[in-house]
Amino acid sequence: MKKLLAVLLAVLICALPMAAMAEDVTLTMGSWRTDDAEQVGALLAKYEELTGVKIVFEPTTSTQYNATLRLQLDNGTGPDLFYSRSYSTGAELCEAGFNVVCNDIPGVKENFTESALSAFTDSEGHVFAVPFAAVSHFVYYNKAIFEEQGIEVPTTFEEFLDVCQKLKDAGITPLSNGIAANWDILECVLLGMVPNYITAEERPAYETGEKKMNDETWVKIYEDFAKLVPYLPEGFASIDNDNANVMFGLGQSAMLIDGSWSYGTLAGDDYDIDIGFFSIPAPEGAAAGFSLHPDFGIAGNAASEHPEEVKAFLEWLASPEGAKIAAEVIPAGFLPMINADVAPEGGIVAEMNAVGEGKNADMRFIWAAMMDLYTPMVEQLNAICRGEATPQEAADAIAALWK
Amino acid sequence: MEKQRHPAFQGGRSIKPGGVYWLRYIIPALLVYGVFMAYPMIDSVRLSLYEGTTGVRQFVGFANYVRLFTDEVVSKRFWNAFGNNWIFFAYHMILQNALGILFAAILTNRTMKGRGFYQTLIFIPCTIAVLVTGYLFKLMMNPVWAGTTLKNAGLGFLVRPWLGDRGTALSCVSLVSVWQWVGIPTMMFVAAFQGIPDELIEAADIEGSNAWQTFWRIRVPMIMPVVGMVAIMTFVNNFNAFDVVFSMETLDGAPDYATDLIGTLFYRYGIAGQHPVGIPEPGVGAAISTTIFAMLLCGVLPTLRATQGKE
Amino acid sequence: MDNQRFSKRQLHLNQRHIGYHAIMIVWSFIAMAPVWILIINTLKTKKEIYTNPFGVPQTWTLDNYRSIIKGSDFLNYFKNSFVVVVGSLAMILALGSLAAYALAHWRTRTSKGIHFFFIVGMMLPIKIATIRLLQLMKGLNLLNTIWSLFPVYIAMGLPTAVFILTQFIRTLPGELYEASFVDGADRFMIYWRIVLPLIRPALATVAIYNLVPIWNDLWFPLIFITEESQKTVLLAVTRLQGQYTTDWPKLLTILTLSALPVIALYLAMSKQFIAGLTAGAVKG
Repeated sequence: MKKLLAVLLAVLICALPMAAMAEDVTLTMGSWRTDDAEQVGALLAKYEELTGVKIVFEPTTSTQYNATLRLQLDNGTGPDLFYSRSYSTGAELCEAGFNVVCNDIPGVKENFTESALSAFTDSEGHVFAVPFAAVSHFVYYNKAIFEEQGIEVPTTFEEFLDVCQKLKDAGITPLSNGIAANWDILECVLLGMVPNYITAEERPAYETGEKKMNDETWVKIYEDFAKLVPYLPEGFASIDNDNANVMFGLGQSAMLIDGSWSYGTLAGDDYDIDIGFFSIPAPEGAAAGFSLHPDFGIAGNAASEHPEEVKAFLEWLASPEGAKIAAEVIPAGFLPMINADVAPEGGIVAEMNAVGEGKNADMRFIWAAMMDLYTPMVEQLNAICRGEATPQEAADAIAALWK
Repeated sequence: MEKQRHPAFQGGRSIKPGGVYWLRYIIPALLVYGVFMAYPMIDSVRLSLYEGTTGVRQFVGFANYVRLFTDEVVSKRFWNAFGNNWIFFAYHMILQNALGILFAAILTNRTMKGRGFYQTLIFIPCTIAVLVTGYLFKLMMNPVWAGTTLKNAGLGFLVRPWLGDRGTALSCVSLVSVWQWVGIPTMMFVAAFQGIPDELIEAADIEGSNAWQTFWRIRVPMIMPVVGMVAIMTFVNNFNAFDVVFSMETLDGAPDYATDLIGTLFYRYGIAGQHPVGIPEPGVGAAISTTIFAMLLCGVLPTLRATQGKE
Repeated sequence: MDNQRFSKRQLHLNQRHIGYHAIMIVWSFIAMAPVWILIINTLKTKKEIYTNPFGVPQTWTLDNYRSIIKGSDFLNYFKNSFVVVVGSLAMILALGSLAAYALAHWRTRTSKGIHFFFIVGMMLPIKIATIRLLQLMKGLNLLNTIWSLFPVYIAMGLPTAVFILTQFIRTLPGELYEASFVDGADRFMIYWRIVLPLIRPALATVAIYNLVPIWNDLWFPLIFITEESQKTVLLAVTRLQGQYTTDWPKLLTILTLSALPVIALYLAMSKQFIAGLTAGAVKG
């Protein structure tokens, strides 16, 4: 017994010095991009090479990130630098005083457009993060299947539906999207469609309540959304975003509507399919829109013990030199937001930007002012998919929540 | 039990060591238990009367409770999770504990070979983390994964969106939990059956009662106290359930809150905040936990007092 | 007594055993099939897992294990979990047995009240107090370190420890320590030299009873710890789950790696465990 206790005690004592002493300045960076550890690691290594400041990347699973970050900041254990969501989700933290205010950081005002900054500015005019990457939403397609079936990339929503029908008739699952994850069906599919119907200039009228959320346009959006439902896979109710990616990657479906950030894994070594992508097409006669959403910026923690180093890093990111290095290493599918030509030539970023050329770009519709509608919209979309609500009913339910 | 003790131990050493002496042994445990369990639990009640997250808390009286029980959305979610918890409980109480008694009855059959082997196997799932079983079953119940293989094997009826269908999701989650934990009541009932004096069963044998009759007339009534204890444990653990939904579904208790339990509801409101904005309301969280606390206390204290009183 | 009963009841029950075995075999299959699926699929390549989800791999590979162990800090997560489990268990046993020793011998209204106070904790989930505990840990400056987990786990384990150990100590016959008592050994020596060795089976029961929930706890690490270097195995599993969501063999490998130590420990000790559990836990 004595021996046992002695051993236990020894183990405890050995474990104690684990709270290691750090001599050099080491910053931590919080993120929800668990997938990108390698690429961001390369960026940070480069920065260390240049300045000698070490930054450790500490990602949290995406769905837990907002909550954990809030918890950490609340309790004074937040990372020195952290990925910041755009608009209210990110602004909320700044309004609570957690962020380094970036208005005076050299380069921020000069190197970003007004609209890029507006996504990262809170209600008091504080820029709460250095804008970093925008994302888009695409229809990915399996080139081999399209070729086999003699299908061309559709240019209108009606053609898109025809393509789906043709695939379905051929016994191929047209789309592998599902509703189990409770986010992608809204963020990628529905909100990816919206710019085809409502332009950035028309959006504020809905935000102020001047236009109703169940007007003709919105009912039409839900109706068109509902037309996609028959082309979702069997058992879509239990298919989450990961499953949808796997299905598409294994060639079990011909198309997948997902974010630009998935390009890296879909085109990478994980799967051996040849993929292409196009923007969700607009209905016949309507001006094509393009979903281009400011996704994240990098913020500094106001309570950091190394405020100088934090600011220096943000300044570097806001400079064309830093942004260029970042653009080289950040994963495919994240579009740099800096107002300078930093994207590597001929790369995927250029290809994605080309898809959006000449189209009316806008961000995710509800992000700027209507975030309260997020959960209700997900609920309504689920109901439409399950056949429990008509497009009109869904629109009415949402309109009732927005006055 | 007291009868066995030597008189010297009833009083003290040679001189009676009273409470002051014995407290020295108890205080370390009491301190840790008091500071890190009892006090935080009781103080949560106070917390439910406050509002705010960062540093500044504001006394708001019963506003959190008013919100919990009258706000259209919050109260709907609360009662939904509460109801789900009862269904979750019913699965465990009925299925898990019945299986436990069945297995224990078989495993205490002394003439049967291989009992130790079965007993070992039954308990293995209990040693695996809920999170791990949850992720595992999520993969297995997924139509994408084994769907083609199952269909080719003529088992196509198994390929269904089990976890995505409101009608089956909660049942599936509950059954996975039953699968995992059935070893615990089995062990407790095995112990209880073994505790039945042999004479009783032999007497029944001599009177010519068959095994079935002996089981119902003697063995089951004799283990009723343990059944009661297992019932309490099952009931309490219900309100602890979180990991299984977290890993198999989402924190929202997808699909459409069909698998939302008090555990996930509490996490969403009190700790994490609603996705995607994520501002927690510790006050509402504390109100949820206080409500459950009160409910458990009302159920548990009388039961405990009753069983303790017998001693 | 076992043999006596054996001969008497054999006649009655022999013919039933086939049915019993059938039931147990069916359940054993249900219990083990998922574990089989878990482990066998970690030995397959990414493609094979879809074409052959249930069978033995056509090409065996350990690559999944290699890349997980190399690519992540798994050994560090293990060390954290190990330190937390061993440390908490040691404290639960030490504090619990001391308190139980006193509560078994000191029988007054007060002591009964204290005993009752402990036992109530067995019946209430500590999760209720999470928000308050979070603030407490913040105040103690323990957040984001594995040390924040110790007090919680110890407090959580004490009620069962006190309950089981008190019952057990009460059943020890007084004569056993009478001799040394008369010899003038003080009560602490009696606890240390006589009581502790005697209650070893009960200590083992308490240890295992707490080992599983502590090793497998996700809730408190999820809330208290975000720093990579301080994560426990299960917490790391949730993160790696995010990283490898679409790579199922790797994901299953992570799950297997986190589950195997406890399963192995259990299999190695299952005899003592079952004996301890069925002897000490509920009899009192």
